[in-house]
Amino acid sequence: MQRRNFLSSFGGLALAQMLGQERDGLHHKPRAKRIIQIFLSGAASQCDTFDYKPRLIEKAGQPWDPGEKVELFQSNPGVVMPSPWAWKQYGQSGKWVSDLFPAMAQCVDDMAFVHSLQSKSNIHGPATFMQNTGFILPGFPSAGSWVSYALGTLNENLPKFVVLPDRRGVPPNGPGNWSAGFLPAAHQATTVRVGTPHPIYDLEAPSDAKYITMSSEREGLALLDKVNRSHLQTHAGDSRLEARIASYQMAAKLQLSAPDVLGIAGESPATRKLYGLDDPITAEMAERCLVARRLVERGVRFVQIWSGADNGFPRRNWDSHENLAKDHGEMGTAMDKPVAGLLRDLKSRGLLEDTIVHWTTEFGRMPCSQGSLGRDHNPAGFTTWLAGGGFKGGVSYGATDEWSYKAIEKPVYCYDIHATMLHLLGIDHQRLTYRNNGIDRRLTDVHGNVISDLIA
Amino acid sequence: MASASNAVVAALFTVALAVAQPVSYQRDVAPLLAARCSACHQPGNAAAGFVATTPLGVKKVANSGLLLATLTGEKPRMPKVGKPLSPAEVALLARWVAQGSQDDSGGKQELWWSLRPLPQSQPATLDSFIQKKLRDANLTPSPPADPRTLVRRVYVDLHGLPPTPEQTAAFLADPRPDAYEQLVNQLLASPRYGERWARHWLDIVHYGDSHGYDKDKPRPNSWPYRDAVIRALNDDMPYPRFVRAQIAGDVLYPDDPHAFALTGFLAAGPWDFVGHQELREGSTDKNLTRLLDRDDIVATTMSTFVSMTAHCARCHNHKFDPIPQTDYYNLQAVFAGIDRADRPYDEDPALSRQRRQLLAEKLAAQRRLQPLLDRVEFASSPAIITLDNRIQDAGLLLAHLGTPKNPADIEEKKRLEARRTADRAERQTLVDHIVGPETYPAIDKGKAELAAVDAKLAALPTPKFVYSGAAYFSRVGAFRPSLTPRPVHVLDRGSVSAPGPLARPGALHCLPSLSAEFPVTEEEGDRRAALANWLGDPQNVLTWRSIVNRVWQYHFGAGLVDSPSDFGKMGSQPSHPELLDWLAVWFRDEAQGSLKQLHLLLVTSATYRQSSAHRADAALQDGDNRLLWRMNRTRLDAESVRDATLLAAGKLDLTMGGPAVRQFAFKDDHSPIYDYAAFDPDAPGGQRRSIYRFLVRSAPDPFMERLDCPDPSVLTPKRTTTLTAIQALAMWNNRFMVRMAEHLADRAKGDPHQLAQWVLGRPASNDEREYAAKHSLANLARVLLNTNEFLFVD
Repeated sequence: MQRRNFLSSFGGLALAQMLGQERDGLHHKPRAKRIIQIFLSGAASQCDTFDYKPRLIEKAGQPWDPGEKVELFQSNPGVVMPSPWAWKQYGQSGKWVSDLFPAMAQCVDDMAFVHSLQSKSNIHGPATFMQNTGFILPGFPSAGSWVSYALGTLNENLPKFVVLPDRRGVPPNGPGNWSAGFLPAAHQATTVRVGTPHPIYDLEAPSDAKYITMSSEREGLALLDKVNRSHLQTHAGDSRLEARIASYQMAAKLQLSAPDVLGIAGESPATRKLYGLDDPITAEMAERCLVARRLVERGVRFVQIWSGADNGFPRRNWDSHENLAKDHGEMGTAMDKPVAGLLRDLKSRGLLEDTIVHWTTEFGRMPCSQGSLGRDHNPAGFTTWLAGGGFKGGVSYGATDEWSYKAIEKPVYCYDIHATMLHLLGIDHQRLTYRNNGIDRRLTDVHGNVISDLIA
Repeated sequence: MASASNAVVAALFTVALAVAQPVSYQRDVAPLLAARCSACHQPGNAAAGFVATTPLGVKKVANSGLLLATLTGEKPRMPKVGKPLSPAEVALLARWVAQGSQDDSGGKQELWWSLRPLPQSQPATLDSFIQKKLRDANLTPSPPADPRTLVRRVYVDLHGLPPTPEQTAAFLADPRPDAYEQLVNQLLASPRYGERWARHWLDIVHYGDSHGYDKDKPRPNSWPYRDAVIRALNDDMPYPRFVRAQIAGDVLYPDDPHAFALTGFLAAGPWDFVGHQELREGSTDKNLTRLLDRDDIVATTMSTFVSMTAHCARCHNHKFDPIPQTDYYNLQAVFAGIDRADRPYDEDPALSRQRRQLLAEKLAAQRRLQPLLDRVEFASSPAIITLDNRIQDAGLLLAHLGTPKNPADIEEKKRLEARRTADRAERQTLVDHIVGPETYPAIDKGKAELAAVDAKLAALPTPKFVYSGAAYFSRVGAFRPSLTPRPVHVLDRGSVSAPGPLARPGALHCLPSLSAEFPVTEEEGDRRAALANWLGDPQNVLTWRSIVNRVWQYHFGAGLVDSPSDFGKMGSQPSHPELLDWLAVWFRDEAQGSLKQLHLLLVTSATYRQSSAHRADAALQDGDNRLLWRMNRTRLDAESVRDATLLAAGKLDLTMGGPAVRQFAFKDDHSPIYDYAAFDPDAPGGQRRSIYRFLVRSAPDPFMERLDCPDPSVLTPKRTTTLTAIQALAMWNNRFMVRMAEHLADRAKGDPHQLAQWVLGRPASNDEREYAAKHSLANLARVLLNTNEFLFVD
C-alpha cells in the first residue's frame, strides 16, 4: 500500500520505472531505444515519391476508371495523371524512387517501405489525429506521449518527448496532434521552436523582468529549497512534497542542458553540408533534423519533426490540390537532403542501430488529377517508410493496385505501424494501457499486428 | 497506472477475503471473471463456447479442470489480454473449485451495485458510516485540523481562492460556537462559489470555446452555457432541473433563459468543422462525421449524468456492462435531429414565446421549401459533372494564383474567370432542363414565405445566442440543418457502411426501476425531453449516486467511487457503499436536490474537518487513505494557482460572466493562430478569474496545461496531478507569475511580512527578510509563490 501511495503521488512516472524493468524494455528486450518521426503535414503523395506505377505513365491523360465508384474529398475523379517527376531505380534493392527525392533515394537500402497503409478518414484533421494517436477524434494521447509513459527517460536533464514544428506554423489540429490526452501531464510534449530566440517556453524568465538577476535567481532557488525543506519537516510522509522539491533541481538541469543540445554551432562543416545547412532552400529543415539527432543522441525518447504547417494559402504544406508539381516540388526539395543527411549521420555514428526513423503523413493522394494540375486526398493507399532500430533495410511491404489508388496487398493501418514500432521498443502494444472513461485505452485501440516481415 | 495499482488493491483484498470466509460465486468469483474473462467470453460471442458471465458456463469449465489449467502455469494461456491473474486470484478460484464450485447466486444474476434500487431513507450521520469502517479496520480518525488550516481548506474548496489575511483573522476571532457553519454558509452564498464549482462541471462535460480539429475556429457564443452553469450553482437550482435543462431546457422550460442557455451542454464538446462544413452530403465521410458527432453527445450525456460508459457499445454490445448496442443507437436517435449551432433566446418570456412561434413557422416553411431546393442542388448528369470539374479546376487555379502581379498571370486569371462564368451559365441551363420549369416558381413561393417570417423575426429585438444543439439554423457551406431527425441505424461493428435496423429513441434498459422506451416522435425536441426526464427521474438511481459521488470527490480529493464517470464493471467499487446510497437518498429526498445543502453536510462533517497530518501507523494499513482516517492534502489546481496568485498580488478582477477572455494574441487564418507568449498579463481581461479564460481546444495555454489543466477535448471527471520539471519552470519563469510577483512587491510597499501574509498567511522568516533586503521584495514574492506551502492545501 505504501508503494501505491508513492506511485500515485508522482502520477507521471513511466510504467517501466514503476515496474523496475527499465533496462530490459517494458515487456521484452528492445531493439530500439528511441524514435525520430518526420511527419509530412497535408498528405504527401505516394505516387509521386516511392510508389512507382508505370500504368500512370501509360494511361496519362486518359479517363481514370478503377472499376468502382470513387468518392473524393472535394472533387470528381479527373484523368490519369502521371507524376511530374521521372523515376529511377536505386540501391541494391533496386527501389524505384521519383526524382523528387534524389538524396533520400540513396538511402533506400536502409529503409523499409510500407505501400499499403490506409486511413479511416479522408479529412486532414481526423486523419492527422489518427496517425498520431490511433483515433480520428481529438483528446487521445499521441504516440510520443505513450512512449514517454511506457519507457520514461534516458536523461533526466531533458524532456522525453520533443516536437519540432515547421517554422511556418503548426499543422492541422495544432498542438492537439502531440497532446498527452488523458495521460498525466508529465508525458506532454515539449515544443522546441528551433532557430527562434526562445525555443522552449518558460525555460528562462522573460528578459524584460529586470528585477531578476543572476544572483537573485541562484539565491532565490536556494531559498526556495530551504523554505520547502523546512515545510517538509512539519509535513512528513508525503512524497509529493519531496517530488516537487526535486522538480526544481531537474528544472535547473534542463535549463543548463537545453542550450547545449540546441546549439549546432560546434557541428563540423562536413556535417552541416551533409544536412544541407549551407543551402537556404534546405537550411530550415536541416537545422531541425540536426537538432533531432542531437536530442536523441542525448537520450530524448521521441522526437517529432513536422514538414509543413496548416492547409492554407499560399500553400505551406503538402496539401497539393491545385498544383502538385510546384507545391510538392518545394516541400520535397526542402526536406530531401536534410532527411537523407539525418539517416547517414545517424548511421555513421552508430545511432541508427537503436533509433527508429519514421517518415509518414496522414494519407496519400489520388492517381487521377484534381483540376488540371493537382491531386485530391487518397486514404485508401499510401506510403510510409521506417529505418533503423531493428527494421529491415531495402524491403517493401504491401502494395497498392496498378493505379496506386487502393491498398490491395497486405493492407495495414497506423495501428500495425505503431504496434511494430512499440514492439521494437520492447513494448507489447496490447499491454500498454491506460484506463480512461471506462476503457483501458491503447495507442492501437483494439487493433494492431506487429508486422514481422519488416523486422530484421 | 490506475490499472496497475488497482490490481494491487484487488489482490490484497482477495487475500483478506480468502482468509475470512468461504469463497462465494456471487461475491468473489463472478466479479473477477467479469473483469478478466467476459470481454471475449460473453453471451452471443463466446470464444471457445465458454460464457464467463453465467454460473452454468463457469461451473462447466471449473469442473472439467479447464478453468484452472488455462489460468496457471509458467505462461498461462488466459487471459489473452493483460497480465496473468495474480497468485491470490488464482488461489481464490482454486478454493472455490475445491469447495465444489457452488453457485450461490440463486439462479439469477444479481444486479451490479450501481443499478440496484436505493434503500429507504434512514436517520444517520455521514460520520457514522466513516467511523464504522475505521473501527472495523482498527483505525481511528485524526484530530480536528487547527482553525487556521481549516479556514484555508474550506475557502479553497468552496471558492477556489485562499482566504485573505483579514478573512482568516475574522474567522479566528469569531467567538460563536457555530462560527464554522456560519462561514460555510457565507461562502456558499458568495458568487465565488459558483465560479469555483462550475469549473469542475466544465471539466466533466469537456467544455471549450473553440471547435477543435483542423480549422479550430472560435465559438463566440459558447460562454452563455458557462455563465448558466455558474448561475445555476449560485442560485442552487435543484439538481434534477439542472440535469433536465442541459438536455432539453429549450423544450421543458422554454421561457426560462437560464434553462435555455444550459442546453449549451449539448454542444460543449469538439466539432469537426471540415467534416461538417466542407464534405458533400451523402458521402461516407460525411456520415462518419455525423456519427462521431452524435457519439460525442451520447458519451458526454451518459458519463456526465449517470456515470455509464454507453459509448463503449458503438461497435458491439458493451463488453462488461449490460448495455446492448441497440441501446447505444437508441440514444443516438435521441440526438438525431440536432447539430451544434448558435440558437437565439430571449430574457423576456413574452418575447421568447413570440420568437418561438415564429421560429416554428420558419421551420415549417423551410421543411416545405427544402425538397425543391434539393431538387436543384442535387440535379446531376455526366455533362453537369464535367462542368463541375471544370468549374472547380478554375477555382483551384484561381486560389493558387491569388492576386497575380505579372502580366501573364493576370491574363491567366482573366481567362479562368471568363471560362468559369461561361461554365456556370451552361451548367444552369442543364440543371433547368432536368428540374423542369415548374420548380422555380415553387421555390420563389417558398422563399417568399420564409422571407415573410424572417421580416417578422427581424422586427423583434435582437436576441441572445447560445451555442447549443439546433434542429434549424442557417446553412453554411455543406453544413445544413436536419429539419427532421435523421434516421439512425444500428451499425454493424460501428461502420457507417453497414447499417442494420433502424434505431428508435430510448434510454438504457439496464435500470429495472425505469422504462427505457420513449414515445415514437419525429419532433426532435420531444425525444430530448424524454431523455431529460429519464435522467432527472427520482427513480434513476444512477443519477443520484453519480452526483453525490462527484461532489464528495471534489471535497475530499477522492470519490467514494474512484471512477466518477464509470459506475460499470470496469470502474471502481465504492469504498463505502452504504454511505454512498445514504447520501444519494438524503440528497434526493431530504435536500430536494440542493447542492448547497449537500456541500454544507459534507464540509461540516467531522471527517472533513480532520487534520491532514500523516500518521505512520494508519498509513501502514491504509496508505491510500481510502477509509479517511485523515483529510487528504491537495495541490491547488491550475485555475486556483492562477487565481490565488492574482488575489495575493491584489490584482484579481472579479468581473463576472460574458464573452471568454482571450489571453493570447489571435490571428485568424485557415487554421487560426493562438499565441500565448504574446499576451501581456496586465492587458484588459488578463486578471479575470480563470474560469472566464477562452479555452482553445487545439492550443491550450501552456502555463495552465503544465499545471494539469486538462485538454478541453477530453472528458475529465478527475484531474491528474503531476509534479514535473517543466511545471517548475512554468511556475518559476512564466511571464504571468513573474509579473504578479512584481505587483505583489508593489502592493507590499517594502514590508516583507505583509507580502508573506498575502501569499502564505504568515509573517516572513528571517531568511526570507534577508533575501528580500538583498534582492528586492519582487524576488521574494517570486520565491514564495513557488513554495509547497502556497501550492498545497493541508
